[in-house]
Amino acid sequence: MRSIEAALRAERLGKKFSRSLKHSVRYALRDIARNALGLPAPSDTLRPEEFWAVDGVSFEVRRGEVLGLIGANGSGKTTTLKLLNGILMPDRGRIEVLGRVGALIEVGAGFHPMLSGRENIYVNGAILGMSKREVDHQFDSIVAFAEIGDFLDTPVRFYSSGMYVRLGFAVAVHANPDVLLVDEVLAVGDARFYGKSQNRIRQLLEEGAAVVLVSHSMWLIQTFCTRVLLMERGRVKHEGDPTSCIYEYNKLAEVEDWVAEYSDAAQIPVVFRDVRVEDAAGAPAGELRPDSFVRVRALCRTTAREFRGRLLLRLQTMDGYPLYTSYSHEIRFREGEEREYVAEIPSIALTGGQYRLHFAICGPGVEREVLYSRDTPVDVAPYPDTPSTRVGLFHNRVEWHEGAPAPSESAAEPLEPGTHRC
Amino acid sequence: MKNLPRAAHPPEVRVYTPDQQIGWGPAAWRAMAGELWRARELTWRLFLRDFNARYRQSVLGVAWAVVLPVATVATFVFLNRSGVLNIGDTGVPYPAYALLSLAVWQVFASGIGLCSNAIVAGGGMVVKINFPKETLVLAHLGQVLFDTAVRLATVALVFVLFRVAPRWTAVFLPLVLVPMVLLTLGLGLALAWFNALVRDVGHVLTPVTTFLLFMTPVLYPNTNKGLLAVVTPYNPLAVLVSAGRDVVITGHLTDPGSFAAVAALSVVVFVISWRVFHLVEPRLAERL
Repeated sequence: MRSIEAALRAERLGKKFSRSLKHSVRYALRDIARNALGLPAPSDTLRPEEFWAVDGVSFEVRRGEVLGLIGANGSGKTTTLKLLNGILMPDRGRIEVLGRVGALIEVGAGFHPMLSGRENIYVNGAILGMSKREVDHQFDSIVAFAEIGDFLDTPVRFYSSGMYVRLGFAVAVHANPDVLLVDEVLAVGDARFYGKSQNRIRQLLEEGAAVVLVSHSMWLIQTFCTRVLLMERGRVKHEGDPTSCIYEYNKLAEVEDWVAEYSDAAQIPVVFRDVRVEDAAGAPAGELRPDSFVRVRALCRTTAREFRGRLLLRLQTMDGYPLYTSYSHEIRFREGEEREYVAEIPSIALTGGQYRLHFAICGPGVEREVLYSRDTPVDVAPYPDTPSTRVGLFHNRVEWHEGAPAPSESAAEPLEPGTHRC
Repeated sequence: MKNLPRAAHPPEVRVYTPDQQIGWGPAAWRAMAGELWRARELTWRLFLRDFNARYRQSVLGVAWAVVLPVATVATFVFLNRSGVLNIGDTGVPYPAYALLSLAVWQVFASGIGLCSNAIVAGGGMVVKINFPKETLVLAHLGQVLFDTAVRLATVALVFVLFRVAPRWTAVFLPLVLVPMVLLTLGLGLALAWFNALVRDVGHVLTPVTTFLLFMTPVLYPNTNKGLLAVVTPYNPLAVLVSAGRDVVITGHLTDPGSFAAVAALSVVVFVISWRVFHLVEPRLAERL
């Protein structure tokens, strides 16, 4: 059956770039001359000023599968996507693609600003390999999806950026690609369109498309992908299910205890001498469990005659998304005093992953008056007995029961009432 | 949502490896011909796109195609009447002669100008989408052909105004223009990619085409005196312009041998250039 075939296969993929423009042009001319003479270009070795942007990347994507590519900026994700799309030629390895490729590397590329939405639908469709008949057939559906109704005959240069992206996306997904390459475009557009585009991609998946998704949104990666490659400096650093890759990814981003930099130390009336994160036994917290008890101790000191304010504790994702925040009651201490304040969290309530514990001391205005802060990484290990693909950031205890059987006409044996936990 | 049935035809397998289709073997030509055939719809769309956009905010519109030749010819008529220039016998009234010559000449001059800019102008698409890049060049050539049709229509009008009847052989003009188009396309393809690598091309082109215009008997008749008479038989552009003029005005080619040779040369230039363009094509995106 078709469904078990790989729609996309990359073997030991390599692509090198040149750091200097001058070398780049010289190499290009030399390679072209060699190819014109029937000789291969020296693609396997690095020449001066060259580096491998993608190096030895291999994977397979089957129909109905979503492969996620994650990694820091410049790790080679987009270059890989461009190789898969045939925009760039590999310097090493081999790519096999089965069927029509739809690329959402940048939607609306090829739009002409002077032309109307209607005209651009046909131009963009042709660029994506659709025939006029095919575009005619899908036209109404594209317009409905893009929600540009009244602006169909307006030049696209008068479109809002959201409309522009919606139209580009609408055309691309209506080309019915067998392989869809998506580069972060889902993040544009409003929340409504975001949901709609996701649904459309899911629909394409059900119809047997294979998808490669590049994103910095770990949530998207977690919910969408069947498998993930974590890339670092052009190489595959980790490969596996979304949870384990995101875990590794966050480790890469892991920072040392981070203290906000203050230009003039003398201006800060209050500082932390020390912030410690402990487990229940009072030992420095290593790897926590999703329901671990956590204690934060902060040693504070002020240069003001008398300091009045509050402490702030916030759990954040590694990219800074706030998960929950707690403020202390008002604290008050004098110059020369060193006070210790303790925050106790009965359960950290987070699923496995890396987080940042943001601890700050504020004036009476709290969030508007953060005077000094420190971020500490918090490492939560997933429970070994739960599915590793669990989606979500929070851990909460949920009891599962089976209710009394509903009255039914069938004489089937009622299930044994009982309790089980998942 | 309406969907076309998937996999109505067996899905095509694409393979990308380093150094695909290098050299000059038959497989390369087959691939190129196939790509050209599949790209016909896109070429047409890109042509329409640029065509529609070009005249959208323009008052004169298609008339712009004849503004430059008419102005040039008017200048020469003025200089001739003032006795500054002495243009020899042209057989038909000078404006008709010069406009016809310029219409043929501009296939080359404006063709080179537009085609050489095709890749650079389409740079945004080249780095973001995978599509046959020659469509960009061909779409620009389409514009040139359209402009040529407008110019020839103007020439016909001028012939009527001056009550000059063209020879019946004028119907062969499109055929005689084919080598000119191939030569232009060949050079255009080469300049298009070279311009993407080395941007000097755009700056060099205008002075060069101006120089060639004056070195070629376009605005003046062929001569048999001086250095020009020695050079002209070896100037392929002179042969092609002269042939275009001949079928309309005299009804026979002045030098069929030279025309055949230049036509063959045009085909060779086009074929080599087309192949080289394909060798360069996969390397373009990373250099823009």
